[in-house]
Amino acid sequence: MKKYSSMLLFAVLLFPSCMNEPAMQPNTYEGNFQALWNIVDTRYCYLDYKKINWDSIYTVYHTQIPAVNGQIAFFDLMGNMLDELKDGHVNLYSDFDESRYWKWFLDYPSNFSSDLIYTTRYLGENYRIAGGLNYGKINNGQIGYIYYDSFEDPFSDDNMAYVLNSFSTCRALIIDVRNNGGGSLDYSKQMASYFFKKTTVTGYIRHKTGNGHSDFSSPVEIVTPAHPTIQWQRPVAILTNRMAFSATNDFVNRMTQAPSAIIVGDRTGGGGALPLSSELPNGWLVRFSSSPMFNLAMENTEFGIDPTISVALSPTDQENGIDTIIERAITALK
Amino acid sequence: MRKIGLLSLVTLFLSTLSAQKVDDQLYLLTSKMNNIGLSVISLMDPYLSPLTYTGNGIQFEHESRRLWSLSNTNISMQNKIELEAGYLLNPAQTSSMTYLELNYRYGIHYHFKPMKGLLLLAGGSWDVGLGYKEVVRNINNPVNVDLATNLNLSGIAMYDLPFQKRILRLQLAVETPVFGWMFVPLAGASYYEMFELGNLSNVSHISSIINKRGINPKLTIDIPFNRTVWQVGLKYETLRYAANNMVFNKNQLSLLVGTTFDMISFGGRKRMAPVNFLSPND
Repeated sequence: MKKYSSMLLFAVLLFPSCMNEPAMQPNTYEGNFQALWNIVDTRYCYLDYKKINWDSIYTVYHTQIPAVNGQIAFFDLMGNMLDELKDGHVNLYSDFDESRYWKWFLDYPSNFSSDLIYTTRYLGENYRIAGGLNYGKINNGQIGYIYYDSFEDPFSDDNMAYVLNSFSTCRALIIDVRNNGGGSLDYSKQMASYFFKKTTVTGYIRHKTGNGHSDFSSPVEIVTPAHPTIQWQRPVAILTNRMAFSATNDFVNRMTQAPSAIIVGDRTGGGGALPLSSELPNGWLVRFSSSPMFNLAMENTEFGIDPTISVALSPTDQENGIDTIIERAITALK
Repeated sequence: MRKIGLLSLVTLFLSTLSAQKVDDQLYLLTSKMNNIGLSVISLMDPYLSPLTYTGNGIQFEHESRRLWSLSNTNISMQNKIELEAGYLLNPAQTSSMTYLELNYRYGIHYHFKPMKGLLLLAGGSWDVGLGYKEVVRNINNPVNVDLATNLNLSGIAMYDLPFQKRILRLQLAVETPVFGWMFVPLAGASYYEMFELGNLSNVSHISSIINKRGINPKLTIDIPFNRTVWQVGLKYETLRYAANNMVFNKNQLSLLVGTTFDMISFGGRKRMAPVNFLSPND
């Protein structure tokens, strides 16, 4: 009995390493740099996909620490390091600034003007507002038009029911999500559900299972349900531009599988991963892409989704109060 | 005349029986303790943040103990409910965490009386706990839930200490988890994926002394006054557990104040109160 008790005690003492916490970085420039670099190294999901040599980037930026003078300069150094990821879902937040990478839309034509869509040719001044949806009939009442500018803005099934009912005499619908920078995946799923006749697998998601750059779970299905009572089965066009990002990117991906939907405009901005966040010893928050999402063909959606019909906003049309992308969608919906 | 006498004798005999029933009947008392406490808490939840959050909390405890049965007075049962709430900050005080916990515990202890005035209880308990931690500032991972159930080793020592005109009761209770189950998500898995997409892989974990260790000594003093027994005490809790390559820990020191009393309950057809127990409902 004594022998077995000793063995049990020995076994218990042998396992404390199972519960050793990782060493905390100190709240110094060096400590915060190491913490940020490690968070990205172990938890960012696109290092391999984007072929980023994160070790090399460590060397480049680590050597700049001694020259840093002050919190703002240090923040800029860290922000510049994060910009190497070229990811709109990667941000560093402090009390005085928020780092961001916006080239995913700044380097491209905007293909959208809010001045245009609120002219009398389109929504005008007397459009209706239901939740986050601005809507009205265009093209002599033949087309229902919804502008939804953020998936952070809520809308209810009742809102959508009223909207679609008001379009009961329209032959087609346009949902304009240009300049919609994203928001809630729940609203993305909800909006798409009105356009599916049956529950459909529309994509996949994976999450990191370890610290390795390629340690991912098996793909998990992302399903778009068919709304039980609110359905639009006539043609629908989704208008997109480079600023259609994140949850909007997810919505567009779902709608590529909807039976009567086409995508018109420019490639979306991407942002195909669910971001999570962590903290540095100095209390700064870092947001980073964590769980990559894929289309039905298991292709990454990080760099955006191509439209069915590629159209750019013509400056001439714009001067004449015409939105080329809306007009092309109207033509395609005939 | 004979009939009156006989009736009087019968009445006298029945009332005598009734009096004997009150004097000889044994009843089990239930000891109840209610405490409120102020706590200092430090907590690390790597799913929410790699930093240790510290702050203050409040808690409420309700405990009741009762002997197993009239035929077995060497075993007692324990029921305990704990509610806690805390507000914690990260070291730089740029972010806050709200912490809530509810725990229910059921224990059984064997009584030892090694000497006069000293009572030792040794046994175990089963507990189930639900915790909620929220860091509002986080993005897509603002909340983590603690859900666990444990079998614990449990011991209590009570010593009656005469002090001036009172008998103070010193009590030291200690408990440690031995085996159980806990919910711990993967660091990279969002609650969206777990609960909206239904992917609950790698969240269910068996716990044992290998991956979960804790102890929570609690020292209290019962001080009787005219009509109330007050209880004051200190409780320290430390808990560390690991799963999915994350190590969680919580340390808490609480100052407790409350009351303790013994009560007896009657109810139903078979446990009617004797006539010398007066109810306001009569």
